[in-house]
Order: sequence, then structure tokens, then C-alpha cells
Amino acid sequence: MKVALTVWENRISPLFDCARTLLIVDITDQTATNRYFEPFHCESPSSRAAKLSDLKVQVLVCGAVSDLFANMIEAHGIRIIPFVAGAVDEVIDAYLTGTISSSKFQMPGCGTARDNGYRKKN
Amino acid sequence: MKKDKPDQIPNHVTDIILESVSDGVFTVDHEWRITSFNHAAEEITGVPRDKALGKYCWSVFRSNMCEIDCALRRTMKEGKRFVDTAAYIVDSKKRRIPVVVSTSLLKDESGIVLGGVETFRDMSLVDELRRELDARYQVGDMVSRSPSMHRIFTILPQVAQSDSTVLIQGETGTGKELLSRAIHELSPRRGKPFIAINCGAFPDTLLESELFGYKAGAFTNATKDKPGRFAAAEGGTILLDEIGDLSAAFQVRLLRVLQERTFQPLGGTKSVKANVRVIASANKNLAGMVKKGTFRQDLFYRINVVRLDLPPLRERKEDVPMLVEHFIARLNRLRGRSVTGISQKALALLLSHDYPGNIRELENSIEHAFVLCPDGEIEPHCLPDNLRALVSRPTTNAKIDTALQSVEAQVILDALKRNKFNRLEAARDLGIHKSTLFRKIKMLGIDLPKIDGRTKRKRVH
Ligand SMILES: Nc1ncnc2c1ncn2[C@@H]1O[C@H](COP(=O)(O)OP(=O)(O)O)[C@@H](O)[C@H]1O
Ligand SMILES: [Mg+2]
Repeated sequence: MKVALTVWENRISPLFDCARTLLIVDITDQTATNRYFEPFHCESPSSRAAKLSDLKVQVLVCGAVSDLFANMIEAHGIRIIPFVAGAVDEVIDAYLTGTISSSKFQMPGCGTARDNGYRKKN
Repeated sequence: MKKDKPDQIPNHVTDIILESVSDGVFTVDHEWRITSFNHAAEEITGVPRDKALGKYCWSVFRSNMCEIDCALRRTMKEGKRFVDTAAYIVDSKKRRIPVVVSTSLLKDESGIVLGGVETFRDMSLVDELRRELDARYQVGDMVSRSPSMHRIFTILPQVAQSDSTVLIQGETGTGKELLSRAIHELSPRRGKPFIAINCGAFPDTLLESELFGYKAGAFTNATKDKPGRFAAAEGGTILLDEIGDLSAAFQVRLLRVLQERTFQPLGGTKSVKANVRVIASANKNLAGMVKKGTFRQDLFYRINVVRLDLPPLRERKEDVPMLVEHFIARLNRLRGRSVTGISQKALALLLSHDYPGNIRELENSIEHAFVLCPDGEIEPHCLPDNLRALVSRPTTNAKIDTALQSVEAQVILDALKRNKFNRLEAARDLGIHKSTLFRKIKMLGIDLPKIDGRTKRKRVH
């Protein structure tokens, strides 16, 4: 199975919409068997989704992502784990061990349920 | 900050000030970790302060600048302030929020750099207003960037205010009804009813009762009074659509109503006063019909007080890209879809078509494409067959390219001519950058006359 991560230096890229590098990780039996970088220079939501699909990516791990991009990618049957932050190696480990959704790897204010973000007072 | 400082403002006062400003403000240390985060920053980013403090700024701020060209990073490197850089951030609900950002160094009293300060302003509202204010291209629901339509847009507010009868002429699908609605909405009668009736759709007797209503007993089935469209439009505006289809007999009746501003319901004995603004539309040239004797001259004069002629779409193809964008945005909104745009090839096909059905036909083509293209860009294969005739014919790719290019060349040449060969104006007219226009002129081998219009032409606004 292939997992893609949008990376920047040695961390997860803050914003998928303008990330420029993909790290593709091949996973068999819960271990990473191979990893390589792919340039990610296309810009439109459709071309980004198409590129991921061409690379046979099944799961995308990224930082923030705007809904236009997210919808398009999910429409290609790719699962997104969004709002992830942290060092690339730690994030991959967390993915393999199933702990990626712990708050340690969540962007601030982007957690689920209990860990909800800031609520606007209206 | 001044060197010879007077009494220092106590720290807690600066805190209060920071908390009360509407701009988001945060500071970072040398490691890009957030050291302060004000109330407005919480509001705009949606991240609570206690979650933001100590975190890397990019994991909280998440802007399109972070990775590629961070203003704060440049400030820290070059020691310079940057003011009002336009950018966007993405919040935890995946929404893009437009912001403008300013950055400067954070120094202590002795001038030692502690880190950086970033202030940012939420521009969502401003963006929305700006879009609305772009009235040059939009009136009511109508969009257009063509000069012929702009002449109409420019005089429309006065026409609307005047309360006089308006005649709108144009082929089917050119937007006659849309324009009448726009007139109604810009007029003092806005808020009152707008009623449209297609005069060509009824035989005389039916049209009479439709327009003027009837009284109980007027005919066998008339068991009670029924008000007509004129009564329904009281205080508002009535659109008499396709007025060129009226029979000679009905033309006389209508003339009387327009002259006297009163009408008589069928079977009634009293005339009713009508406070209704009349707009008439025709897809034929009424003046020509007058000459041929098929339309009464006196009625023509009565309705031809102000005349607006809507040009067919094939004479303003420069509107096609903008209309396509408009329809995509509207359908996305209506259907909750996320079609992102149209590919160049598909747009070229749309530009090479003649549109006997005008804008309605273009609108239908985009609807068709929405059915076939679930998301992404609209590609040629999503368009209706009659438009794709150009691709499906057994031609080579080279031939298609040539066809597309000749269409493009035509569109560019038209724009240049319209703008007296002023290239800058032509580029603006086409909504492309002037260097793109230069490149295309060269690539397509468009011959230009020696003049370039720049020197002679004055801008009229
Ligand atoms: N300038 C325009 N901008 C956006 N939509 C337009 C414009 N002109 C026409 N339309 C659309 O095209 C269709 C046909 O317009 P309509 O006013 O019914 O034309 P007509 O009455 O001349 O046949 C409508 O759906 C209308 O919304
Ligand atoms: Mg109509």
C-alpha cells in the first residue's frame, strides 16, 4: 500500500494547497519497505488529485488543506488524514503504530471531539 | 520606540491594548515558536491561545506563504518590515481566509532581537465587498465585459429610475428577461411585484383574461372574480415578453391601456387604474415590422421610449469565459459541487461555437457538463455533442490545434479592433496579462497595423 505525505524540510508541510514535495512510502505488513520523493508542482485541485491517483496513493497524510482540494482528493477514493504536524519520521512511525491521531501530531485547534478548536463568540 | 523614553507604559496596559485591537497579532522566538497570541488572532485562526502558545507558528497560522515565502522569515533575515502582504490561511474547518500580513522585528529595550511580530487582518468581508463593487462587470445577475453591454450597464441606473416604458430587443436567450428584472431591481419599484407574461404564448381571448382578469359571470366558467397580471403587478413592473407576437387586434387594445393607464377586466363595467411600469421585449426588430405593416406604428412609438438592444452572443464572444466562470460558480453553489474550471481545449470549443440560442444555450452546455464531469475541470468530452463536432470529426490533432488557434486569433483580433489596437486595453478587455497577449499575437502570427493606439487614444470612463 502507498501512503503519501506532503513534506517540507523534515516536517509535514503546513498547507497541502501549496506543498511542493511528496514523500511516498510503500507499506507491507505494517512496515515501511520503500520511500521516495516526488515533486508536487501541479497547482489546481484536479491536477493534484490526479497526480496522487496516478501514483496509486491510497492514503494522504498532510497538514492543513482547504475543502476544494480535500473534496477532490476524496472523490478519487483517497483517504485523507489532515491537520497533521510533526517531524516526518515520527509521523510515519505514528502512522504505522496507529497513533497518528493522538494530539501530539495534531495541528493546534484541529483536534476532534473533546479537543475542539476555539469557538467564536457571536 | 524612542530612545530617550518618557514614563514607560506598564506591561499590563500594552496587553490590554493588544487584546482590544481587531488585527490578529502574534510573536515568535528565534525558533519560530509562538510566544504571544492575542484575542483577534484566536478569532481569525480559530485556534485558542493556550493551544497556540509554544507551537511552531506555521502549524497555527497555516498560510500559503509559510513554506514558500514566509514574510516573517524574511524580516528576521533582513531586519526589514514588510507591510500588507496579501495571503490566505486555512482554518480547522478547511476554509480559506484571505488575510493581509505585516511583519517586523521584536526587540527588547536594549535593542536585542527577541524574535518577530506578525500582525494580520481578516479580509473576507473586504473581498466580498470588492466582488460586489465590481459593478463594471456585473449588474444584477448579468455579467459581461463586452463594450456593447457596458454601454447598457452604464445607463441602466438612470433608465431604471426614470419609470418610462422600455423596449428591450434581442434574440432569444440574450438576457431580455434578466435585464428587465435588473431594471425593476434598480428602480424605486423594487420590493413590489415583477410579473412577466409571454404575449406569444396565448390566443387573444386568453391573453385578455390573463392580462386584465375577469369578473364573475363574464363567461360560463367564471364563478368568481379573477385578477389579471396587470392587477398582480400593481405598484411594480410588468414585462410584456415577445410583444412582436401580438395580433393586430390586440395591439389596439394594448395601445389604449398604455395611453390611458387603465384597463377593464372581462365582464367588468368599470375601468381600473393601473400603476404599473411597462417593459416590452421582442426577439424581432419591431421597427422593421412597422415598416412591413405587421406592427402598429403608434404602439411602437408608445413603447419605444427607451430602447435597449442586447447583442447576440456570437457578437460578443469575449463574454464567453466570464459567463462560463459565472455559471460554474453558480452551479457549484446550487449543487454543492466543486468543479474548478474549464480546460483550455473545452473553452476553445465553446469559443468556436455560434450560439443560435445565445446565453441560454451556453448555460445549458455548462449544465450538461456538470452532469458528465463530476469535478475537476470541464473537459471537451463533457460538452454537448453539437459543440464537440469539431473534435469528433476524424481530424488529426494538428488540425484541431489549428482550428482552435484560428478561433483564438479571431477573438484576439476582435478585441484589438475594438480597442483601436491599443494592446494594453485589449489585454484588459480579454482579461489576460499584456505579456500573454504579446506572446499570443506572436505565436498566432497576428498581423498588426503600424499604429498601436497607445499614443492617440484617451481613456473614457
Ligand atoms: N449577461 C448575462 N449574465 C449571466 N446570465 C445571463 C446573461 N444573459 C442571459 N443570462 C442567462 O441566460 C438565460 C436566458 O436569459 P433570458 O433573460 O431568459 O433571455 P431572453 O428573455 O432574452 O430569452 C437565463 O438563464 C439567464 O439567467
Ligand atoms: Mg425570454
